Formats: sequence, structure tokens, C-alpha cells
Amino acid sequence: MRAERLLGLVPGLLFLALLIAGLEWAVQAGLVRRALMPPPTAIWEVLRDLLLSGDVLGPLYSTLRLVFIGFAIGSVVGIALGTAMGWWSAAYRLLEPLVEMMRPIPKAALVPPLMLFLGIGDTMKITSVALAVTFPVLVNTLQGVRGVDRVLLDSARTHGWSTARALWHVVLPASLPFILAGMRTSLGLALIIAVLSEMLTGQGGLGFLILDMQRSFLIRQMYAWLVILALVGLALNAVFAWAEARALHWQTRN
Amino acid sequence: MAGGTIAAPRRFRPTSGLFLVLGLFLLWEVSARTGMVDSPNWPPLSRVLAALVRDTLSGEMPMLVASTLARMFVGLAAGTLAGVALGLLFGASRFAARMLGPTVELLRPIPIPAIIPPLVLFLGLDNTMKVTIAAITAFFPVLTNTAQGLRAVEADQIAMARTFGVPAWRRLFRVTLPAILPYVMAGLRVALALALVTTVVAEMIAGEQGVGHYLVLMQFAGRAEEMYAAVLVLAVLGYALNRGFLWLERRLIGWFFATGRNG
Repeated sequence: MRAERLLGLVPGLLFLALLIAGLEWAVQAGLVRRALMPPPTAIWEVLRDLLLSGDVLGPLYSTLRLVFIGFAIGSVVGIALGTAMGWWSAAYRLLEPLVEMMRPIPKAALVPPLMLFLGIGDTMKITSVALAVTFPVLVNTLQGVRGVDRVLLDSARTHGWSTARALWHVVLPASLPFILAGMRTSLGLALIIAVLSEMLTGQGGLGFLILDMQRSFLIRQMYAWLVILALVGLALNAVFAWAEARALHWQTRN
Repeated sequence: MAGGTIAAPRRFRPTSGLFLVLGLFLLWEVSARTGMVDSPNWPPLSRVLAALVRDTLSGEMPMLVASTLARMFVGLAAGTLAGVALGLLFGASRFAARMLGPTVELLRPIPIPAIIPPLVLFLGLDNTMKVTIAAITAFFPVLTNTAQGLRAVEADQIAMARTFGVPAWRRLFRVTLPAILPYVMAGLRVALALALVTTVVAEMIAGEQGVGHYLVLMQFAGRAEEMYAAVLVLAVLGYALNRGFLWLERRLIGWFFATGRNG
């Protein structure tokens, strides 16, 4: 089974290798302007230096910090509000119009106003990320909480469980698949907003570096940082998928 | 799913939520007017609305919105076509899926704002670059959903058409595409919301076009009223696009929901 899966990857990896080799050849042969697209080997050299010297760590840490803290805050707020709105109809009536009004705002558009109030430091960036994360998590949590089996809730009530206990032991586990689906969407958004806010403030980690390298015409460096960012995106997705599978191991996969 | 409406349409009745929103608006207005928050970055709501009306009547805001939307829709169309085409190819050939799949999966998680700088090198600051950004944004969700749709409908309908000897082209347009339309539409809806974001982001980072650039320009110029007016416009746009799309979805694929296969 495992060997079969690995074998299935061969054509894909081969194609990728061919693609990179073809690019290398096209650049060396002068078909693509070197100033725009340096040969992959040249990018690799920069990348290797960044990795070996450890210079990658600082910017990587500062971007990941934004993503993680913003993601954590946004998820907690989204889950809390979503659960409250799904559980108490009074909370739903109170918050629903506000949520519906805030939700369609492209969160990227909130970065400039937030810069005015919170400056260009981490507070602003984390707030932007958290805002982008909150709404998809909230909406999915709400949907999950509303879909909880009434029989489960009734039996919890019959056994005299407190609301808090029922929420924690029945409602949250039952809505977990929804919550995690919302969080998966949000994780991608979190990285987008983190990168954007670094670009707009002109300081910080990977996003700032990519834009800065382009503007300084350090093209090889720009591509090297882009590759690093792509790997970060890939790794975040993979880690989340792994965590999700573990958290939902009881759910039959279709 | 993310992006769904959380409230079913219902008869209008004032609720506590409406009062909360109105109360917050009132607080905004009062706090700015009475100097509770004394900051040039915090103009009263009425002045923001006045700026919005001014910009709308002068024709500036409609022009900006039209140019942003035009770029977004052209990009969406291109990205959707490419996504559906590759999705069909993946569905038709396991080998193609195996060969191209890993490259697609490798490119997908790159955050869109990060590919703006290299694209600027190749395509410049203007329309081409921004349309491409919108297209790339639309491409991935549409591709995923097309492939998913094919897997879901292939077994019954397409095999049946094949059994009855329906020729390949006809099968594609008469059977396959209508059958996967609901899935493509679901992907398109995700793409629509994302494309508005990425188009605006591209305008913010590069060039001098559209609502995104206007927003950043007003921020730099310290003209907070106009800046909030632009945020407001984007919020309305986001809402209207989603609503419009839901309406379109009901018209185009009402049968899908009618047969209870929602999801």
C-alpha cells in the first residue's frame, strides 16, 4: 500500500524535475530574460546559502509568529462566538446582523485603516490576521453547533448535565468537523493577510522581503524567498491536514 | 461550508441585533463628534457617508469600482476556463492527474500576494498583471471542484451515456458539463470572494488603478473619510457579489437543490 502510493508519485515528481530542467535550459539558452527569471540553479545557490547560514530563521520566525498568534486568536474568538450564537438564540439575534455586515468586507481592505490606529507593528498585523480568521471559523462553528443531534443533547439533559458540560462534551466534539473545515479555510487566509500586511507596512518577514527584493532588483533573492514562502504554505497545510485527521479519527472518512 | 449565508431570508422584524448595529453606528458618530476619540483617523460616520456620496456623484468611485470589477471578471473567466479544462483533463486521464497533480499541489499554497512581485517583472504594473492574479486565484478552487464533481457524477451518468454510444464531444457538453455544473459553481463562488480580495490586494501593492489603490492612496494622504468610504464600497461589493451569485446559482442549477443533493 505504502510502496504503491510512493510509486504513484513518480510521474508527478518526474514532471516537476523536467519542468525545472526545462526552465534551466530555456534561461541558459537565452530564451527567457535572465533579469526576470534567473536559472533555477542560481536560485538554488541563494536558497542554500540562506538555509545553511540560518539567515532564513529570522524572517521565517517573524511571519510564522504573526500567522500562529493571529490564527489562534481568530479561531478562539470565532469558535466562542459561533458556539454562543448557535446555542443561545438571544446571542444569535444580537450578533447576526453585525456578523453579516462585517463578513463580506474583504479583510485585506482593513489593513490600511488598522495601520492608522495600531501603527505598523505586530499588533496591527496580528489583528488583521485574527480578523480574517474569525469569520470563516465563526460561520462554520455556528453551522456545526446548529446541526448537533437533538437526541444527544436531550440525553445529556436527562442525565442532568450542566450547560457547560454539554457544550464541552457534546456540542464541541460533534461540531468539530465543521470547526476544523472553517479553520482550514482560515489558515490559508491567515498566511495571505500576514504576507500582505508585511508588504504594506514595509517591514517584517517573508512578505516584506519578497517585495523589497523585487524593488531592489535582487531577483534571485526574491525567488529564493518565494520558494521558502511556498514551502511554508505547503508545510502549514500538511501539518493542519495531519492534525485534522488525528482529531477526527473517529469520523469515518468517505 | 465557508461563505454560506447563515440566515435564511425571512420577513423583516427589528431584532436586538439591529439595535446593536445602530447603536454602534451611533457610538461611532458621537465618539467622533464629541471628541471622545479625538483623532484625524476617526471621522464621524456621517462625514464618511458624505464622502461616499461626493465620490459617487463626481463619478470617481463608480469608475474605480467598474475598473476593479472589470479586471476581476476577466480574470475569473480566464481562471475558470483553465480550471475546468485542467479538471476535465485530470478526470479523463489518470496519468495526466498523476503527472501534473504534484506541481499543482506545490503551487496552490503559495499566498497570492507573494506572487505579485515576480508577476510585476513579467507583466508590468497594469491590467495584465492584475487580471492574471484574479485568474490564478480562481483557477485552484475551480480545478479542485471540477475534479471532485467529475468523481461524483462519473459513475452513473457518464458511464450510461457511454453505454448508449453518445459521441465524446456531445457527451462532454450534454452530459458531463451540466452534471458537474453545481460543483463548478460551488468552486466559482469561493473563487469570486477570493478574487475580489486578490484583485484589490494587487491594486494596493502595485500600480495606480482601482479601489485598492484609492484606498491606500487615501491612507497615505491622511484622508480618512475617503478611505473608510472605500472600505464601505468594498464591503457592499463583497455582499452584492455573493448575493448576485446565489441568485444566479438558484436560476442555473435549481434542479440540483430541488433534488435534495445540496452539498
